[in-house]
This record gives sequence, C-alpha cells and structure tokens, in this order.
Amino acid sequence: MTALLEISGLRVSYPGVDEPVEVVHGVDLVVPQGRKVALVGESGSGKSVTARSVLQLDPDATIAGSIRLGGQELVGAAPKIVRGIRGSGAGLVFQDPLTSLNPVMRIGWQIMQPLVIRGVSKKEARERGIALLDRLGVVNAAARFDDYPHQFSGGMRQRVVIAIAIIAEPALLIADEPTTALDVQVQAQVLELLHEVADERGMGVLLITHDLAIVAGFADDVVVMRHGEVVESAPVDELFAAPKHPYTRGLLGAIPRLDSDPSVRLTSVADYVDTFETVDDEPAAPAAENGAAR
Amino acid sequence: MTALLPARLRPSSSPRRAPRRRRRGVPVAERIALVVVVLIIVIAIIGPWIAPYDPYRVDLAQALQPPSAAHWFGTDVNGRDVLSRVLVGAQVTLSATGIVLLITLVIGVIVGTVAALGGRVVDEVLMRITDIGLALPSIILALGFAVALGPGLQSAVVAIAATWWPGYARLVRSIVRETRHAEFVESAVALGVSRWRLVTKHILPNSLDPMYVQVTLDVAAVMLVISGLSFVGVGAQVPSAEWGAMIASAADNVLNGWWALVFPGLAIAITAIAFNLSGDWLRVRQDPTLRDGGAR
Amino acid sequence: MSLLAVTEVTKRFAGQHAPAVDSVSFTLERGSALGLVGESGSGKSTTARLVAGLIKPDAGSVVLDGTELVGAPRATLQAARRELQFVFQDPFSSLNPRMRVSELVGEGLLVHGIERDAAKRRDRVVETLESVGLDSSHLDRYPRSFSGGQRQRIAIARAIAVRPRVLICDEPVSSLDVSVQAQVLNLLGDLREKLDLALLFIAHDLAVVRYLCDRVAVMNGGRIVEIGSRDQVYEHPQDAYTRALLDAVPVPDPARERARRSALAASRSVTAPGVNS
Repeated sequence: MTALLEISGLRVSYPGVDEPVEVVHGVDLVVPQGRKVALVGESGSGKSVTARSVLQLDPDATIAGSIRLGGQELVGAAPKIVRGIRGSGAGLVFQDPLTSLNPVMRIGWQIMQPLVIRGVSKKEARERGIALLDRLGVVNAAARFDDYPHQFSGGMRQRVVIAIAIIAEPALLIADEPTTALDVQVQAQVLELLHEVADERGMGVLLITHDLAIVAGFADDVVVMRHGEVVESAPVDELFAAPKHPYTRGLLGAIPRLDSDPSVRLTSVADYVDTFETVDDEPAAPAAENGAAR
Repeated sequence: MTALLPARLRPSSSPRRAPRRRRRGVPVAERIALVVVVLIIVIAIIGPWIAPYDPYRVDLAQALQPPSAAHWFGTDVNGRDVLSRVLVGAQVTLSATGIVLLITLVIGVIVGTVAALGGRVVDEVLMRITDIGLALPSIILALGFAVALGPGLQSAVVAIAATWWPGYARLVRSIVRETRHAEFVESAVALGVSRWRLVTKHILPNSLDPMYVQVTLDVAAVMLVISGLSFVGVGAQVPSAEWGAMIASAADNVLNGWWALVFPGLAIAITAIAFNLSGDWLRVRQDPTLRDGGAR
Repeated sequence: MSLLAVTEVTKRFAGQHAPAVDSVSFTLERGSALGLVGESGSGKSTTARLVAGLIKPDAGSVVLDGTELVGAPRATLQAARRELQFVFQDPFSSLNPRMRVSELVGEGLLVHGIERDAAKRRDRVVETLESVGLDSSHLDRYPRSFSGGQRQRIAIARAIAVRPRVLICDEPVSSLDVSVQAQVLNLLGDLREKLDLALLFIAHDLAVVRYLCDRVAVMNGGRIVEIGSRDQVYEHPQDAYTRALLDAVPVPDPARERARRSALAASRSVTAPGVNS
C-alpha cells in the first residue's frame, strides 16, 4: 500500500506576542491510498492545524517539516503547486456547513466552481454536480441545484459542502469535524455517506474529530493527538481493544455508551492525565487502573 | 456600523478553532493620532494660559503681520495674535462639539433604547419622529434653528444637537434590538433580573461600543458643522476665537493675510483626522472580545 | 403533587404553519431528572423556554410547586425564577462578556435579595464556584479567559447559586468536546444529588441522557412521541422514531459498527435497489 499523504516532523507555529508560538511539535502521520485515518484529540490538541497545513490555508501559520501528497512535497512548494493541490489533490470538508458556504451564491454555482476553474465546461460541470448531489442523497437534486444555502437544512448543507470538496475527484478528503454541528441522526447519515463515497472513489480520508465514538465505525487507523504531539497511533481495532496511552483511555472512558451501566461515572481525560492548565508536561500515570468504563 | 454587530455578538472564538494570536499594541498612524488627540484636548484645557497674547486685544497697528518670531502664526486684520486665538479657540470649538455630542448621545441612547424595547406602538411613534429628523438636511435645519433662536454659539449647539440625535437613536435602536436577543440577555431574564438591571447592566454595556466609535468619528463632523455655522454667521459671533468664526473673518483678506485663515483651518483638519483615526483604535480597545487574555 | 407539572402546552410561532410545540405534557418530581430528546426542530428547546417562562405559550399550563406560571404577573414569575433556573447550550454566548465571574455567579443572589451584603455574597459565590470545580482565583476574571468547559461550569454556578429546585439544561454539553462533556455530565449528576435538584435535561443524543436521567421523553415534530422510565425507553422503545434515534448513536466498538454497516447495506440493497448505482 503506497502512502497517499505522508506527514513527517511537522511543526506549525503562529505569530505570538513576542515570539512565534509553536502549536504542532513534530507530527508524523500517514494516510495510505484509499484508507481512512482518524485524527483525534481535544480542542487545542493541534489536530485541526495539522490537517489544514496540508492545504496551507492559513497565511499566518509557519510550517516546517515535510508534507508529501502523492509524492509531491508541499512544504516550501510554490504557491501555484499548493493551489493546484486544493480541490483536485485534497478536498476539505469544514466543520460548520452554515459558515463554509457562501450565502449569496446558489449552491450549484458553488459546487461547479472547482470544475469550472479547472476548465471544465459549464454544461458538463452542471451535469456532474447534479449527479453528485443526487448520489449524496439530495432529493430532487436537479431542481434544488439552483437553491441558496439558506433553503437547505444543516444535514443537506453538509452534503453540499461534501459535494464541493469531492467534485474535482481529489485523492484525499480532509474532513474537519464534519458532523460536530449536526444532530446524532444526521451525523450517522453523513458519516455513512462519506464512508460510501470514499470507498466508491478509492479516496483516502483524514477525519478530524474529538469524538472517538464516531471513529469506531469509520476509520481504519487512528492517530491520537495531544498538545501538538501524537501520543498514540494504531489500527482501529487495536486502539479500541487495547488503548496504550492513558490519554486515549481517558478519551474512550468519556464516551457515554448505550451498552454500559449508566450508574458508573464517566471518566474523563483528567482522571488519567494531569490536564488542568498545564501544557507541556509529560502524561502522568492513570489515576484509575482499569481502563475505560465498561 | 451595524455590520460589525453579528461578529461582536457571536461567540468570540469557536471552541475548536485553531489558535490565533492577535498582535498587541497600536499601529503607528493610530498611535500618532492618539497623541494628537490628547495634545488637542490638553490645549483645549490649558489654551488660555499658554496663549502668548490676549486673543481678543485689538491692535490695529499690528494688523496682518505675517508669521514671525513674535507672532508664529502672524496676526489677523485686527492685529490679534493668530496663535493665541487658535489655542484659545480649541477650547471654544471642542467644548461646543463635546456638548453637542453629549446631548446627542443621551437623547439617542434614551430614544433608541426605549424604541427597541418598548413595544410596537412606542417604537413606531419614536421611529417616525426619528425619520422626520433624518429626512431634514441637518445643516439647513440647524441654520433655521440658529436663526430662530438668535445667532450665537449656544444656539448653534442646541440646533446641531436637535438635528443630530436621530441618527444616534436609529443606531442605538438597531444595536439594542440585536443585543436583546443575545443569549446572555436571555440568561439574565432566566435568572430573574429586573427590567432596569437588564437594560443597564446587560444590554446597554454590550451595545455602546459602536456608539463610542460613532462619537469619535462625529467629533470631526460636528466640529465642521459648528465651524461652518460660525463661518456663515449664525454660530459663534465676532470676536469669538471659535475656529470657524476665525476663518470667516479672515476670508476677506485671504490674499494679503492667508495665515489668519490657514492656521485655524489646519487646526480643524488636524483635529478631524486625529479623532477619526482614533475612532477605529477605540473600537478594538473597548471591545473585550477583541482583546487578548483575561484580567490578571 | 409534582414539583413541576407541564400540561398541554402549545406554542406556534408567527408565520409558521405547524406549532413548534404541540400540547406537550409531563411532570417532574422533586430531585428527579427528565431527559427531553429530539433532533433540531423537534421543539425540545422551545419546550424548555416555555417552561422557564422565556416564551409565552399559546395554551396550556406550567405549574411550579402549586403556582401557575402561565399568565402569572411579573412578580410571581420573577419569584418563581429563584426556584427554576436555566443553563444554556452555548457557554460562549450565554455569559455576559462584560461581567466578571464574581458578578456573573453573584447576580442571582443580588437580584433575588438572597445575600445583599457584598462580603457574604462573595463567600457564597466562592462556595458555589468550588462546588463546580472552580475556585476563588477565578473570581475577577472575565468569561473570555476560560475554556468552553470552564465557561459551562460558570454558567452552572450562576444557575445554582440561588439554590433552585429545578434546573433546566438546554443541550449544555453539545458544544463541548467529548472529554469535557463527560466532566460536565458528572458534575450535573453530582449536583443533582447534593442539592436535591430536579433536572430537565434537553439533548439530541440519547446516550448522553441515559447517564443523567431516570426518565426520558422523546420529542418529534413538536410532540412527545414517547415518555417513560429509562429502562422502558432504552430497553423496549415503543416508537419507531425512538428506535431510529437509538440506532444513530455511534458505538465505540469497531466490530459492532462494521456489523451494523453491513446490515444496513444489506437491508438497503433489498428495499431500495438502484439507489447505490
């Protein structure tokens, strides 16, 4: 299996008050061709920054290390190359479908853009856009193609965002908390849809999330991040069966499950590692011995 | 102005957004503007004491002297020292401007808030009155007011305030209507706070930022109208050192005494620019959601 | 007599055909916890606001400890708010950005005249902060310097400072990370026990409700489609919608999720051929 995305020694920093603040400290990550990798962590763990640095969307960020997409080195690459990668090399699904769509443009126009700017004719782009929306489960896609975002519900909007991300057939899809803003039921539908479409097209997926529960049914591999570093990285079955790092155990124990005794307290990361207001400390020993709540 | 609002009332940062740092400190242009504003205000306060000559003493023997070591800004047609008059005029012009804006702000906030929170009928009545005010060109109306009340700086102040508040009422109303729906306001209602406390503690403090900016920006506009009214003869009267009145009386001799017109003109221009630039900086500073960190 | 009795409450917003809340009834006993679950648009948040008197219902009655709140004079409602407090979904917008923690948490004590003396009020505020896992060092800080989880603790402290008997929580954890969510859920459970609080807990996630509530009501389209004890609803759901909601809860178990997915694919290829082509 060849690596589609290979990140190594990634460091990302932002301008600070006096000196740059580094938020990602040397992350290694591989997304093999056609596999789904989940990048998991809490807010501030640097997971989003890591994923977004692939597309270099944030002009404030200073990126060091290596990011190779399909063999092409992106760190330090010419802006033209990076622009070419966006859309056709790697598509991005944002967290909030409400703000990631342009409210004054018809959704069809927005879906067609990635094709149109690559020289595909309007007619063909429209046909492909409608076909894709239809595939993504938007009922009556042809008629709704000329609607505005506000005429869509949250789940439907997120399908539009997915359509924009994958219409140019990228080899890699980066989904940054794609279901956080959605209801549980819609979340299940959107995840299922992403899973299917990725399989159909042989796309590699990098899913960013804070919720290990949705990872179980989605990902092949899991990478857990904390404080800008990878703390654990394993195939999904292995990680859920035998989480090695106490932080991972904390994340697992925090999930409210339908199949556990509700009178048993949820654990939290704080039960396993010292979290409060500390940033650069080494993970402490677990406070509770027997792993995740079950 | 209202376009600023949604962003202000939205959560200051999404819980899962990548960390972003905002640089502290003040940009150079704004820094200079702030220094100038402070300087102008200081001059407005101590002007009469630092003026080298009596700004009102007529000395026809010294009329229309060009700028020199004795008279840095020259003298006017009546032989009065222009520098002294500009320094003293700062007080006259700025205090008149300040009073106008204070009256305007108070009326605007009261009318706007009552309209926003007072129910449909109250809102309708107040806003129609405001519409009428907005429909009339303020300088013309001020001119009429000033004529009716008799020329003089006081009538100019009353006249401008009377024509200026509708814009503020409008602005306050739209902001308060938006703030009223903020979740922290609902939270205060759910807690059981009184209506008075709701308005004074929760709604207004979170609605007035754009007003401060507006006031700062309006310093220039109001000052220009005051000076304008003085220039056309219905505002400050001779021999007042109000800047507009100074320009008016110097206009006749612009060819052989340009300094008597240019220096008060520069004073007006510099003051206007300095206040405008400070306005934007103020917005950033006053808004806690735009500032870094907590009170430590 | 129930502590809180909601009967046939209905609310239709102007310009909408269907009522947002359609004759909803339930009761809440002293110290018990009722979960109100549904998707966005199901009317669950509107119900919470109707009960709290933040919105006036078109019809129905809300009785708190024998006092009718619907149509009650302002003073009655104000007094009732000492007994019935509210925690909002988004701690980033529900805290006044211009008030310090001490003011935010002490406001209820002040406006209800519980503790007029500033020093004593401060003591109560510190005590309340400590009960939610914060401390006196946080008193003079503004909400912006706290994380989402900490802000929600402040919001909870603000609500419980007046020692209410009913706490209405409108999706208090849905904007938080899972790990922080667990802490807040545990906190609410502890407080419920310690303060003998009755909880009305709104959520879209049945798994979250299961941890906190002994009774569950499922809402869909403005109506309660199913209400019952925790065991009843989770073990033997009667309504198809409830079952759909339960099915949507992700299970943190890769093998079971895979089994579920293949079952789903199988059922779809039978019922709807051609959808996948």
